[in-house]
Amino acid sequence: MSEKYILRARRNDRIARWIITAGGVAIIATVILILVLIVEVTLPLFLPVGAEPLAEVSLPAQLRHEDVLLLDADEYMRDGLVLTRGGRCVFFDLKTGTVKHTENLAEDASRGEALACSRVGAQQYCMRWSSGLVTIVTPDFGLSEAENHGVAKPYAVEELQSIPASVEPGEIATSVARYTDEGLVTRVDLLANNTFRVAQRSVSTDLMGNESVEAYESLIDGLPGGVSAYTLDTQGEWLYAGTADGQLIRWDLGNLGSPKLVGAHKATEDNVPVTALEMVFGDVSVAVGTGSGKLTTWFPVRKTPEAVTKQLAPIHDLAPHDSAVTSILTSRRNKSLVSLGKDGSIHLDYPTSEQHLLSLSRAERVVKTGYTARGDGILALTEANRICVWRIDNPHPEISLSTLFGKVWYEGYDAPEYTWQSSASTDDFEPKISLVPLLYGSIKGTFYAMLYAIPLALFGAVYTSHFAQGRIRNVIKSTVETMAAIPSVVIGFLAALWLAPIIERYTVTFLLGIMIVPVLIVIFVMLIQPLRQRPFLKQVEQGFEFVLMVPVVLLACTLSYMLAGPLEALLFGGDLKQWLFESAGQRYDQRNCVVISFALGFAVIPIIFTIAEDALSNVPNSLKAASLALGASRWQTVWRVVLPSASPGIFAGIIIGFGRAVGETMIVLMATGNTPVLDMSIFNGMRTLSANIAVEIPEAPLGGTLYRVLFLSAVILLVFTSILNTMAELIRQRLRSKYGLNN
Amino acid sequence: MTDPVTTEESHVTPQKPAGGVKATSERPKAKPAFDFEPKIRIENLSLYYGQTRALFDVDMSMPAGEITALIGPSGCGKSTLLRTLNRMNDIIPAVRVTGTVAIDDVDIYSKAVHVDLLRKRVGMVFQKPNPFPKSIFENVAFGLRIHGESNRNSIEETVEKSLQRAALWDEVKDRLRENAMSLSGGQQQRLCIARALAVGPEILLMDEPTSALDPRSTARIEDLLDELRSDYTIVIVTHNMQQASRVSDWTGFMYEGYLVEFGQTEKIFIAPEKKQTEDYITGRFG
Ligand SMILES: Nc1ncnc2c1ncn2[C@@H]1O[C@H](COP(=O)(O)OP(=O)(O)OP(=O)(O)O)[C@@H](O)[C@H]1O
Ligand SMILES: [Mg+2]
Repeated sequence: MSEKYILRARRNDRIARWIITAGGVAIIATVILILVLIVEVTLPLFLPVGAEPLAEVSLPAQLRHEDVLLLDADEYMRDGLVLTRGGRCVFFDLKTGTVKHTENLAEDASRGEALACSRVGAQQYCMRWSSGLVTIVTPDFGLSEAENHGVAKPYAVEELQSIPASVEPGEIATSVARYTDEGLVTRVDLLANNTFRVAQRSVSTDLMGNESVEAYESLIDGLPGGVSAYTLDTQGEWLYAGTADGQLIRWDLGNLGSPKLVGAHKATEDNVPVTALEMVFGDVSVAVGTGSGKLTTWFPVRKTPEAVTKQLAPIHDLAPHDSAVTSILTSRRNKSLVSLGKDGSIHLDYPTSEQHLLSLSRAERVVKTGYTARGDGILALTEANRICVWRIDNPHPEISLSTLFGKVWYEGYDAPEYTWQSSASTDDFEPKISLVPLLYGSIKGTFYAMLYAIPLALFGAVYTSHFAQGRIRNVIKSTVETMAAIPSVVIGFLAALWLAPIIERYTVTFLLGIMIVPVLIVIFVMLIQPLRQRPFLKQVEQGFEFVLMVPVVLLACTLSYMLAGPLEALLFGGDLKQWLFESAGQRYDQRNCVVISFALGFAVIPIIFTIAEDALSNVPNSLKAASLALGASRWQTVWRVVLPSASPGIFAGIIIGFGRAVGETMIVLMATGNTPVLDMSIFNGMRTLSANIAVEIPEAPLGGTLYRVLFLSAVILLVFTSILNTMAELIRQRLRSKYGLNN
Repeated sequence: MTDPVTTEESHVTPQKPAGGVKATSERPKAKPAFDFEPKIRIENLSLYYGQTRALFDVDMSMPAGEITALIGPSGCGKSTLLRTLNRMNDIIPAVRVTGTVAIDDVDIYSKAVHVDLLRKRVGMVFQKPNPFPKSIFENVAFGLRIHGESNRNSIEETVEKSLQRAALWDEVKDRLRENAMSLSGGQQQRLCIARALAVGPEILLMDEPTSALDPRSTARIEDLLDELRSDYTIVIVTHNMQQASRVSDWTGFMYEGYLVEFGQTEKIFIAPEKKQTEDYITGRFG
């Protein structure tokens, strides 16, 4: 029987060991898996831009590269098109180069031949004809029956605008044109005598459906230098011109018929000419390429805080070419831009993050490039009359470590800043994704919460474990347990809707109370020490001494309440908020750090208290007895024996509380106002990393930049807490070997 | 364990001149009338743990500069009685004490007595060695520091002296900075004695100081007690009859909260007056 019993015991042992091992391994595996999954989502943020060569074909229809005015592709990277000098639009298969359709845009001979062509909007091209006419056209890529629900769609080119010249075609050097949905058509010609001729035609329709046309013409002459490049924004409101001696000039065309010079700036050193100008997506920045190969983006900023008007300034320096920049093409998705050097090198850059994303080149010199409107394809036409196509995988050009953690100069800002603003109502909005304000918010909130929670929790734990008597100890412990059980949403809700208004109303009282209460308590304790042996005080049961404190605390509160009014009048001219705003330039947020300190502190106190109390009560009674038997007072015993012995546990409690405060979401979400500001003031709110995830995740499209950045903040939170825990564990081990007990 | 008669070792019970003992009491409650100068005088002492009474009208005196042993079956109140002498019972909730405990004729339960100062005069060594998880040096210096001594030299001096008195100095003098937890059980207990001696007590209370130790360590501690004898008034609780007979001058036998018999050790062990005492000593006890 005993033999059998032993065998059974052994078997049970083995099974138990397996189960326990399996459980442990499963937990570790799960944690690692979670980490891997999260990191995997964030990884594409930092992957280099991919350029996959898609095809290389000969120019269709025996065209030569000199004939090609413009290259583009459809949004599926299936068909390409070239606009030719002959005024034709040739659609061809990108993979094979076979011509699918050719459309003659010249209609009749009166238009002459096409001289130049540039991209205007997403897939619109502005063509200038030798007759002086300018047309804006858009291609329509055909679809087969299968592709288009059984109805074949033919290839076509639609003409959107046709703007005749009002001067002799021979006088025109180059032209560009823009039109808006509101019916404003703008055409700017650079005339042979280095003068701009601006023609604006505004068509407005009244309620009755009557059209009225107003046409304006104006000349801009006396230009400081020969214009070597110029461009218009998509609305035709701003005219930018670069000169052969390196100046960048800007005119405001908003006032129809009277263009206004806004500023001229030196854009290059050594009077190198400006060779390429293009508006970056969003119409705020202009990309400037020079004869020496420099590539910069400019946008208007207020140079000094007092300045009324904004002046163009060079903001971002991009990777230079080895030779003159001949053309710049921009994406209509984000601010990426493709530039072509005279030597045929193609660069893909992102201005905001100043990242050079990609360099492409061919054995034969590239003479023209195309950049799809979506920014997902680059086409290159070489001297050898061949077209190369790359599929570009560039989902997160705006993200780099320096944009996440460094200052970034965004359009519309007057200086580089740490900014978090992930979304806005407009399409051309650029997300601003600095994590610094969020990290700062997390640390700030945690700091103030711990400032309040640590002393309270530790004093409470010391009192409960070593001074309070049985009954009162049970009351405290169960109260704290209840505290821990309160859902954080309830705490956040109360803090935001109940506490915040009260604190707003009695700010000075609160601040005064924070100072007066502890001071009065200390004074009271010092006064009462000599009286301790008095019979009257002896009647107060040990562990109930706090009852004596009640009147003191009440007195302190009343005192702060009564002093608050006069003090506010004396120091802050009667209104703290006003004073703050006027003399310190600080706003007073209702949901501020004081509120968070209480609310988050309230959530953290039970954790610190419970762990610390545990550690303190686990200090063996024999140690306490040894100390007391040597004549140490209760306080000396706690301070010199109990606290050092419990320090590893207390420390663990604080760190775990800290981790909880950093990760706490609901309370900060509700009680902070969630403004991502960098401001140490206790009267401001904040936005924490964790709350940010909660706020933004519903709006973050799956796989998008924001989505991945939110995952990145999760990784940061995770890494932060694990570093914290590791650190805590290390320090704990050291403390334990120093003060700890054998077991 | 408590089998004193059959296993008498070579160790000889210290023969001490009995300083003119007159007579012993007849009843446990009767006031003993010895003609020594009592260092500690206990009169009519009763103690209650809440509703339970643990000591019944104990009357007893302990002579200065001698060792008094308290023996008795488990749960009879020896430790309780010992703890009344330095008021360690105060930290137990709901303890009530009536009667008098006087040290040098001053009632230690009177309002005028400061507990912390009382405990400085009345040191205590516990059953299980309980050094602080600090260095050996800091363990001994602890008492000095809490009583306000801050002079380094004088602390070092006292630590060395105390360790020497506790017969530990030679073993630890090269490792004073090491954690006291690294010492053996016997060394730890001697460290606790040194720690108690460092604050300069007049009385040493020992509650089964050797029950957790091996015979060698026990013998060392007993030798130590012998050396400390004349300088301190020692009260020791023990379950070891041999130990009581070996080290003590006086012995009190307690039973169920009563002090049954008290007298010179020789007398108690050789010719006890009470049947209960005799039964207990000879091991015939239940
Ligand atoms: N803290 C306490 N609270 C309540 N009752 C106690 C407490 N300590 C001791 N007692 C009770 O008082 C009586 C005497 O206990 P005491 O510890 O003094 O016995 P003892 O003689 O030292 O026993 P032992 O030889 O086992 O140590 C016992 O009945 C015990 O249950
Ligand atoms: Mg005992």
